[in-house]
Amino acid sequence: MNVLGMQTLFVKEVRRFMRVPGQTVLSPLISTTLYFIVFGYSISGRVHEVEGSPYLHFIVPGLVFLGIANNAFLNSSSSLFITKIQGTVVDLLVAPLGPGELMAGFIGGAMVRGLVVGGLTWAVAGAFAGFSLEHAWVALYFLLIASYVFSMLGMLAAVWAEKFEQINFFPTFVMLPLTFLGGVFYSVRELPSPWNTVSLFNPMVYMVEGLRYGMLGRSIYSPLFGGGILAGVAVVATLVVYFVLRSGYRMKA
Amino acid sequence: MSTPTPALELTGLTKRYGDFTALQQMNLTIQPGEIFALLGPNGAGKTTMIGSVCGLVRKTAGTIRVFGKDLDQDAVGPRYQLGLVPQEINFDPFFTVAESLRIQLGFYGQRQDEARVDEVLKALNLYTKKDSLTRALSGGMKRRLLIAKALVHKPKLVFLDEPTAGVDVELRRDLWTYVRKLASEGTTILLTTHYLEEAEELADRVGIINEGRLLMVEDKTTLLRRFGEKRVVVTFQEPQTTLSEATLRFAPRLSEDGRSLTYVEREGAAPAGELLRVLYAEGQPIADVETRRSRLEDVLIEVLRGRPTPQAA
Repeated sequence: MNVLGMQTLFVKEVRRFMRVPGQTVLSPLISTTLYFIVFGYSISGRVHEVEGSPYLHFIVPGLVFLGIANNAFLNSSSSLFITKIQGTVVDLLVAPLGPGELMAGFIGGAMVRGLVVGGLTWAVAGAFAGFSLEHAWVALYFLLIASYVFSMLGMLAAVWAEKFEQINFFPTFVMLPLTFLGGVFYSVRELPSPWNTVSLFNPMVYMVEGLRYGMLGRSIYSPLFGGGILAGVAVVATLVVYFVLRSGYRMKA
Repeated sequence: MSTPTPALELTGLTKRYGDFTALQQMNLTIQPGEIFALLGPNGAGKTTMIGSVCGLVRKTAGTIRVFGKDLDQDAVGPRYQLGLVPQEINFDPFFTVAESLRIQLGFYGQRQDEARVDEVLKALNLYTKKDSLTRALSGGMKRRLLIAKALVHKPKLVFLDEPTAGVDVELRRDLWTYVRKLASEGTTILLTTHYLEEAEELADRVGIINEGRLLMVEDKTTLLRRFGEKRVVVTFQEPQTTLSEATLRFAPRLSEDGRSLTYVEREGAAPAGELLRVLYAEGQPIADVETRRSRLEDVLIEVLRGRPTPQAA
C-alpha cells in the first residue's frame, strides 16, 4: 500500500480547499448562518418547542448536518471532477495509487472540509442559541458518518459526470430534496401519512436524528438503529466507489 | 550470459473503441537504457499505446510487462517505475511549481527531497519560477513543468508523448541534452514526436506505426541506411549535352539545361564517389558538388506510402 501517496493526496486536498477559504469555508458558513437566523428566528416566535426542545435548539443539529453534507459532497465532487476536466487526472492515474489510496485521499480531504464547515456552523449557532452536547460519542459518530457518506457520493458523482451540468445533478435533484425532506427544520413525525413512512427510507433523516440525539439528547429514532442503517449505507457506498474506480469507468479511455 | 529483463514488453496489445481499432496486435520489446522513438501520423495509435501502459487506457487484449511484471497481475506496483509527459498540457492552478513537484514525489511514495526538486527545476530552466503559481507560467514553461513532474521521482521508464510540441528551440535542445543524460544513467525512454529531427537526434531504435499497426521496428542507423538514400548533385561550369558511356552506367539524371547532374545512391548501388572519379577522370568542368542524405522524415514517408518493409520486431 502506498501510504505516503495516500497522505500526499489527502494533504493536497486539504490545502486545495484552504487556498480558497472564502469560497470553500466562509461562503457555506454564511448561507447556513442565514438559514439559522431566517428560519430559526422567524419560526421560533410561533413554534416554541419541537420534540421537547426549543425550536432554535432543535434546528442546530440539522444545520450542522447541512454544512457537513453539502461541503463534503462539494469537495470530493468538484476536486475530482476538475482533475478530469483539467487533465491533471493523468497524474493520479499514472502514479502508483490504487482505488483504496485514491478514495482515502479524496474522502479524507472532503471529510475535513465538511467537518470544518459543520464545526463552524455549530460554533455560530451555539453563539446564538447556546451549546448543547448530551452524548459526545454519538454526535461524533454521526458527524463522521455523514461526512463520510457524502464524500463518497461526491466522488461517485465526479466519476460519473462528464459535463458541468451533470456534476450539478446530484446536489440539485438528489441531495436538496432529500435534505429538506430529512427533518432539518421540522420533525418527520409531524409529516402526514404516507410521507412519514416514506421518510424512513431517507438516510438523511437518520443522520439528522442521530446528531440531534448526540447534541440534544432526544431523537425520534433510536441512534443505534439509525447508526446501523448508516453504517450499512457507508459500506455499500464504499464498495460501489471502490469497484467503480477499479474498473476505470469514465476515468480511463 | 543471461539477457536483461526488458523494460517494456507488449504482446498482442489491442485496443478497440466499438468498431474502431486503435491498436492492433502490437508486439514490442524495449530494452533497459534504450531510447526508442515511436513515429506515425496523428491518430496512428501512439498515445493509445502509451496510455495502455500508463494506466490511462483500458486495453482490449494482450499483455503488458513492465520490467517483467505483468500489469494484469499487478496494475499498481510497476507504476512506481513509470514517468509520463502527456501530450496535453495540464496544471493544477492551486499550487506552485515546487509544490507540484513535491506532490508528485509523494504520489510515488517518496519522501520530500528539496535537493532533487531543485536539481530537476535547474535542469529544465524552471528554478527561477520555483515559487510561482503554475497558472502564471507561460505555455513553454508549463510544458517544462510537465517534464519536470514526469522525472522528479527518477522513473526507470519514461514516456515522452510529444514532449516538445510547441516549445522553443532552446527547450528542445535542453531536453535533448537531459534525455541523453538520463539514458546514459540507465533510464529507458520511449518518445513520440512530430519533429523527426528529434527522433533522429535521440533514438537508438525507431518504430513506425500507422492505423494501430506497428509497421516496423528498426535500429535507427540501419533504417536510414536501408531506406535512406544519398542524393548527389553535380553542377557543371558549362552546360553538357551528352554524357559518356562510363557516366551513363550510373543512370544519373541530367537537368534540362544541362547544367547539373543528379545521382541517387541507394543501398547496394555504386557509391557516389565512383561517379565523381569518372567525371574528374573525363575532365568534366565541375563547379560544385552537393550531397544530401535522407532524413528520418523521408524514410517515414516512404514506409507510410507502403514501400516494402522489414518485419516488425
